[in-house]
Amino acid sequence: MSAISASEKVDGFTRKSMRKAQKQRKSQGSSQYRTQCAPVELSPLPQLKDAPSTEQQELFTQKLQQCCMLFDFMDSVTDLKSKEIKRATLNELVDYVSTNRGVLVETTYPEITTMICTNIFRTLPPSDNPDFDPEEDEPTLEASWPHVQLVYEFLLRFLENPDFQPSIAKRHIDQKFVLQLLELFDSEDPRERDFLKTILHRIYGKFLGLRAFIRKQINNIFLRFIYETEHFNGVAELLEILGSIINGFALPLKAEHKQFLMKVLIPLHTAKALALFHAQLAYCVVQFLEKDPTLTEPVIRGLLKFWPKTCSQKEVMFLGEIEEILDVIEPTQFKKIQEPLFKQISKCVANPHFQVAERALYFWNNEYILSLIEENIDKVLPIMFGSLYRISKEHWNPTIVALVYNVLKTLMEMNCTLFDELTSSYKADRQREKKKEQERDELWKKLDELRLSSAQNNSHGLPSVQNNNNNNNNNNNSNNNDTQDKSAEAAAVTSENKDPDDSVAAIESSPCAK
Amino acid sequence: MDAYKLMKELRVNYEQEAHYLPKESGLRLIESTTEDDSRISAKCRDAKVEDLWSLTSFFGYSTQTFVLAVNLLDRFLAMIRIQPKHLSCVSVSCLHMAAKVTEEECNLAPPVELIRIGQCRFTASDLCRMEKIVAEKLNFKSNAITALTFLDMYHQIALSHCTDRKEILSLEKLEAQLKACLCRISFSKAKPSVLALSLLRQEIHAVQSEDMLEIASHIQRHLKITDVELRLWSERVARCLSDYSSPECSKPNHRKLQWIVSRRTAQNLHSLRTVPELPTIPEGRWDESESEDSCEDLMSSGEESLSSSLGSDAEGPYFPLHLRRQHLHA
Repeated sequence: MSAISASEKVDGFTRKSMRKAQKQRKSQGSSQYRTQCAPVELSPLPQLKDAPSTEQQELFTQKLQQCCMLFDFMDSVTDLKSKEIKRATLNELVDYVSTNRGVLVETTYPEITTMICTNIFRTLPPSDNPDFDPEEDEPTLEASWPHVQLVYEFLLRFLENPDFQPSIAKRHIDQKFVLQLLELFDSEDPRERDFLKTILHRIYGKFLGLRAFIRKQINNIFLRFIYETEHFNGVAELLEILGSIINGFALPLKAEHKQFLMKVLIPLHTAKALALFHAQLAYCVVQFLEKDPTLTEPVIRGLLKFWPKTCSQKEVMFLGEIEEILDVIEPTQFKKIQEPLFKQISKCVANPHFQVAERALYFWNNEYILSLIEENIDKVLPIMFGSLYRISKEHWNPTIVALVYNVLKTLMEMNCTLFDELTSSYKADRQREKKKEQERDELWKKLDELRLSSAQNNSHGLPSVQNNNNNNNNNNNSNNNDTQDKSAEAAAVTSENKDPDDSVAAIESSPCAK
Repeated sequence: MDAYKLMKELRVNYEQEAHYLPKESGLRLIESTTEDDSRISAKCRDAKVEDLWSLTSFFGYSTQTFVLAVNLLDRFLAMIRIQPKHLSCVSVSCLHMAAKVTEEECNLAPPVELIRIGQCRFTASDLCRMEKIVAEKLNFKSNAITALTFLDMYHQIALSHCTDRKEILSLEKLEAQLKACLCRISFSKAKPSVLALSLLRQEIHAVQSEDMLEIASHIQRHLKITDVELRLWSERVARCLSDYSSPECSKPNHRKLQWIVSRRTAQNLHSLRTVPELPTIPEGRWDESESEDSCEDLMSSGEESLSSSLGSDAEGPYFPLHLRRQHLHA
């Protein structure tokens, strides 16, 4: 990357637009290094469709073996002819497996898996960009995608072929295979992850014996992501697969699955890059709750525990998820969590970030949530009332104020008496607070006066206080006796003898009590 | 606070209250109208008054403002036939007019804000014009004698007679009940003095105070309110209040509330409802052994408890007993 001149920086940091411009060129990476020997040219083999059926098997195997030759795509000029031959061959193989029956005989399985392993299993190259931010930056794409894509396609068709026999394939598609497949989910290339997602989904579906292993490995990946590295590009894809698995859970739910929910899915909400996979994560959580409603309480308590405190974007996501959960919640479960939940919601509606407040207020547009609130209005309204009323007067954003009106009106229509009671007690509280404030202000004024008078007394030796009071535009004209009694206290209060002019200035500049 | 002075003032107000009553024939006309696009019905007026109540509450206006606004509204509607589409403008103008005479300058909500919050379709200049029309038709100067006027006075009288019972009769509660009654157009037919007295008696019955009851009777005699009239309105008030204070909730009417949110929030609202692309994979039944291909192979001894519990099928406290036994026998 070229050096960035000082003029292109702001506060010493590179301007984001500059950084983006540098990355506009699509970055590609690949770790498919060619073997050290001299470039081997591929000789084109005859077409499968032209070959007589007796020779097709043999030809098929030859082509598979041919495709085990890897090419360097970082170099865009060498071996163009051979690359093209391989590409065409792969294409042909994809067709062959998709359209013909009786193609998958037992002997082909090892050849197929070898070809696949050779082509796709590789150590992923380290990212070009060490500060890769998945939300902002363009991903590094796989340079050898023209070939790799076809290999993935082939694997998928292979798995989906009607003649596919898991009992034979399981000798080759084993735990080691799955482990390597899972590692590839960290690829930055979204196309690759998309294929991997579908492939792993099919493998999970067909290989019953691998299911527990796959789940365990996914757990490990997630736990490492949450607690150790905070880096993994394939979280969303894995969650999508899990969604379809959770959807198929048998009832009653196994302990293992419940543990997964509480120990992995809920903590996953704390990840910094939540925005990338929140939709899939929320879907998984809601699926769990639809399967077993008794999980509602621990889930919501878990979310409340991890409630974002400084990231407003995340808070909005959490609120969205809560609404999704409330959409499916059972009324008995709602009663269990209504109090802690609405305490959090009442904080959210008062949040100065308008998007958070908006999202929280919009809950009242949801018919089902309204019916839940209605049933429990005596618990919910007192919690919400204070902050709603306060922000109706204080919030800076006019849209929020209008939404608060809607919410208050809705609540008022639900139960007028309770609403009126809360209004009057709120007003009474405010009156009391105001009174206290006033009293406090009066006390300070008095103390200031006394301090000034005691300062005057000390410097000029004048017992009378009247002159000082007039100077101070003060209405509290205390009589001499009072002042002299209090001046002893005032002397105790003031630590130093201030210059009278300073004191006057101080009093005149202090704001009048409201 | 002089009881004698109060009684005298009461008398004066009683004599004048007729000036501020809405025309009864007009009110009856409204009550008898069925739901129609061309005329105001009772339901429509009641709904609008409830809206006014919400606005009063929201902007922190006093009960006096609300009661005065409703009084102006009813008098206007009883006098002039208007189309339902103008009802919103008329009612908000009444509210604004009432607020101007009752509330302090600093607490007055600007017309634009009133219109925005009330989700009204007219402009501030429309409001201004309507205010002039209403003021002119009703010959409105600064105030009106309403049920609240009487309620306040009755309350003061009651207090002045039994100073040690200050806490019992809550003026706020009475005011809230009055607001509830005013939401039904039928109560606008009552004489304010009678309505207020009915409310007072209702509350006195609730707190079961004999002394207060005597005072109420005293007032009744002083104003020469007939028993028949008082009984009629007391019954209606009792029914209305029992609805108001019932713990049952009424389903909020979501008819016309507009929920306006910012563009960004609107975009994100339904982003979670994605249709899953991958088909569901049903979990195997209990007797289908899922740990066929020895996941023990890769499990080393040094793994944490999480992984070991994840591999097991039949352990854990959540596992129902009878199935556990079945698995062991399989």
